[in-house]
Amino acid sequence: MNDLADPGYSLFIVAFAIQLLAIVFLSIRNERTALFSSSIVLVIGLILGLISTFSSALFSSVEIPGRTFFSNWIRLDGLSIYFIFIIQLVAIPTTVSGISYLNHYIDQKRSVKSFFIFYIILLISTQFVVIANQTIFFLVSWEVMSMSAYLAMILEREKEEVQRGSFYYFAASHVLIFILYIMFFLLHHQTGSWYFSDYHLSFSSGIVVPLIFILSLIGFGIKAGFIPFHFWLPQAHPIAPTVLSAFLSGVIIKMGIYGIFRTFLFLKPVPEWCGWLLLIVGMISAIFGVWYALAQHDIKRLLAYHSVENIGIIGIGIGIGFIGSANNLSSVQVLGFGGALLHTLNHAIFKSLLFIGSGVIYRNLGIRNIELMGGLIHRAKYIALFFLAGSVAISGIPPFNGFISEFIVYTGFFKTANELKNYYPILMLMFVVGLAFVGGLAVGCFTKVNSVIFLGSERREVKRFHSSIYDYVSLGFLSLLCILIGFYPQPFVGVVNKVISSGFLNGNSSSALINIDWHYFTLIFSSLAIGIILLYLLKLKLEKKYGRRTSAAWGCGYENLTPRMQYSASSFADELNTIPKTILVYQKEVEISDSPYPVSSGFESHSKDFVDYKIVLPLFNFLRSLAARIGFLSQTDIRYYIAFILIIISIYGLIAFLWV
Amino acid sequence: MGLTFLQGIISIIVIMALAPLFAGMVNKQKAILTGRIGAPVLQPYYELIRLFKKETINAGTSSFISRISPLINLVSMIVAAAMLPVGFWKPIISFNGDIILFAYILGLARFFQILAAMDIGSSFEGMGAAREATFALFAEPIFFFTIGSISFISGYNSLFDIYHSIQLNNVSYEVFIIVCSISVFMLAVTECSRMPVDDPNTHLELTMIHEVMILDNSGIDLFLYQYSSYIKLFIYALLEISFFYPFSQKSNSVGILIFITGSVALTFVLGIVETITSRYRMKNIPQYLLFATAIGILNLLIYTFTK
Repeated sequence: MNDLADPGYSLFIVAFAIQLLAIVFLSIRNERTALFSSSIVLVIGLILGLISTFSSALFSSVEIPGRTFFSNWIRLDGLSIYFIFIIQLVAIPTTVSGISYLNHYIDQKRSVKSFFIFYIILLISTQFVVIANQTIFFLVSWEVMSMSAYLAMILEREKEEVQRGSFYYFAASHVLIFILYIMFFLLHHQTGSWYFSDYHLSFSSGIVVPLIFILSLIGFGIKAGFIPFHFWLPQAHPIAPTVLSAFLSGVIIKMGIYGIFRTFLFLKPVPEWCGWLLLIVGMISAIFGVWYALAQHDIKRLLAYHSVENIGIIGIGIGIGFIGSANNLSSVQVLGFGGALLHTLNHAIFKSLLFIGSGVIYRNLGIRNIELMGGLIHRAKYIALFFLAGSVAISGIPPFNGFISEFIVYTGFFKTANELKNYYPILMLMFVVGLAFVGGLAVGCFTKVNSVIFLGSERREVKRFHSSIYDYVSLGFLSLLCILIGFYPQPFVGVVNKVISSGFLNGNSSSALINIDWHYFTLIFSSLAIGIILLYLLKLKLEKKYGRRTSAAWGCGYENLTPRMQYSASSFADELNTIPKTILVYQKEVEISDSPYPVSSGFESHSKDFVDYKIVLPLFNFLRSLAARIGFLSQTDIRYYIAFILIIISIYGLIAFLWV
Repeated sequence: MGLTFLQGIISIIVIMALAPLFAGMVNKQKAILTGRIGAPVLQPYYELIRLFKKETINAGTSSFISRISPLINLVSMIVAAAMLPVGFWKPIISFNGDIILFAYILGLARFFQILAAMDIGSSFEGMGAAREATFALFAEPIFFFTIGSISFISGYNSLFDIYHSIQLNNVSYEVFIIVCSISVFMLAVTECSRMPVDDPNTHLELTMIHEVMILDNSGIDLFLYQYSSYIKLFIYALLEISFFYPFSQKSNSVGILIFITGSVALTFVLGIVETITSRYRMKNIPQYLLFATAIGILNLLIYTFTK
């Protein structure tokens, strides 16, 4: 085995072995000890993996060799290493936060061992997915990933919402895998190989290649959660244990993005309609993802819809890259794919941060409805601060990391318009405005979330709020990453640029991405931070001199303000939600009595998912009624079935006979 | 490098120093047009100095968010102001793509202002915050349909270069620029909470947007908010005035002259608009903003098909 001579590679293997070893520690009888030791071993394995990833070619100055191992079954090219880096980076804080989060299940006398086994399998199989070079190995890893996520998801399986939500996930995963089977069958049929590294097709020949592209877009699009395939996300994310939803939203849905990138590498260069398709799908996902999020009261469902938005932004980036690929423009390709890849990393970071934060809240309050929360900032200052960092980052506001990747996407629009002239500037401008609009909606959404959960006073009394060291470590780590990428993006941009240079481009490499004036960002953001700190010191000094005190808020002369009188999440977002009422299926129920005396009245608002409510459910109801119509065939006597089988076989036989 | 940097520093100091004066002039114009004597032009300075020396009172339910939000507001306004050209001087922050940073830095200020308003936990501030979030959303496309479209047409994406690229040698482009400047004016009115979107002078909670958000602030906090809102008004005034730079034959002295006359003329326009219009009902404000967006789109389409 020559491969093992490479120290980085042997470390890689050791890392996997240690991660697997974590399962063994679950055999310890005491739940808490088992969970703790297993998590620690898993984290050590992940850190070793991260070290081996860092020592790989992607993070050094040498070219990525794209080597294959294990008789071609495993291949480490730029894209694989980049995604394995994301997986390991996000898995570490989610596992750490799991120590305290899962203990809360143990407090409820619920065993988490089976959950943790599936969680470990999920982590490992996800890493296998991105390094697989052999189709069957890929599909098996993919299926193990999907199913272990499902099995981990049903931890609280006696609850009805868990059964319902996990079924959505289960059904979506299965539809998806069938589409992938067909897609890879077609790929194999066209190339005669089972290895990814042999798949090179071009669009010029026939209908099969466009078909493969469309199938990959649907198959991987279901995983990624592009509208209209997003409907499983808001169902599955809320009911999963938060450790898992953080990993699902941060990493698993990115496997769809990985798949789309991988397919691109098979089929490049793609024609321009592919780019437009992704741009439009991405824009729709971005706008309506965030708009749906705005209408939600369930914190985890809201975050799930936000994943749809961010996947949309990634899709927009990929779309620009495709347009660049079609027109043979390296600079456009670099900016589009660069924005998409960096946003994949960024979204993995801040979305897992937000999910872990929501997990801390759920663990303490036992509710997910944000309308019943409030004032938590006075109980958990640091959790609020970390959550705020994640919120600012996800809204794409500088100086955090979300802004950097959105900025690259914007620059991609400018570059496309400049390079292609003609009618492109107008079209690209439309997308710029769309993206700005999405940014505005995200600001509305995350100011709502933050203020309703953390600010003001408690709408429902909180008895006790406990946050452990594990929460601080994982949230702090992720927040630091958000700030780091925001303030100093050069190294990350360099890595992304390297991934793209290794195999994405069909022309010369372009320095469009690294040539953005990144040092300006570092300079401006640091001066912003320094300015704020200096001003704060000045403010403190002035307050010392002229005094500062607290007093009741202005209530227009009314003294007895209660927490219930605060602006709620639905009132905050009402005006915005009323605009696309039909698409959001946004309903308000107001109970007002005509009595001249004050009597109790009520208000309720909710939004249903258009795709789920108007397409998926009616479709399955229709199928069910169809099935009911042939229900008479379903008999209790086995002899009927044997007769049916015989009839079918004879029909087939007859056809085969006539055919020959 | 040295001279440009110095000019950039001077520009930003000029913006910071003159911003309250601009607001004072608008108020004076408005007072004269409505037949009052009005407060002195320097009144905003007096008010700022007065606030500076006042005791700070925080609402009991508030947290560190309302303590840091005023600072973030002012600093991000100054950073945004540092991207705008005064006269023909290159601003201190000017790089490819700064138009995006400009829009998003203003977004940073808004994000924290909304949070600080919600921090009080009173429905008045909540009302203001919700309105700010809603109207800002509709204001965003206007900015990109005006300044953004000039940028896409000229191929530059730095604010300084964008304004530099405007040349009046083609009738359809001239019309395009004029209509753009009208859209920017409508945007400025919204963003700076002037009539007919918001009334900076009333103090009835139910009718306000910006004023209600800072209702529970006092002392140094209010000073920071007021000062940053003056700077914001001046920033949008500069966005508008910069449309007139093409007339200046690209010389510095004429550029500065245009800056001065432009500012004064704009105070007249704002004063007149605020005198002859009344504030719209809250329900109609999105329509007003969508109208400005529609103008932007139509303008762009007309230009594209007539050039």
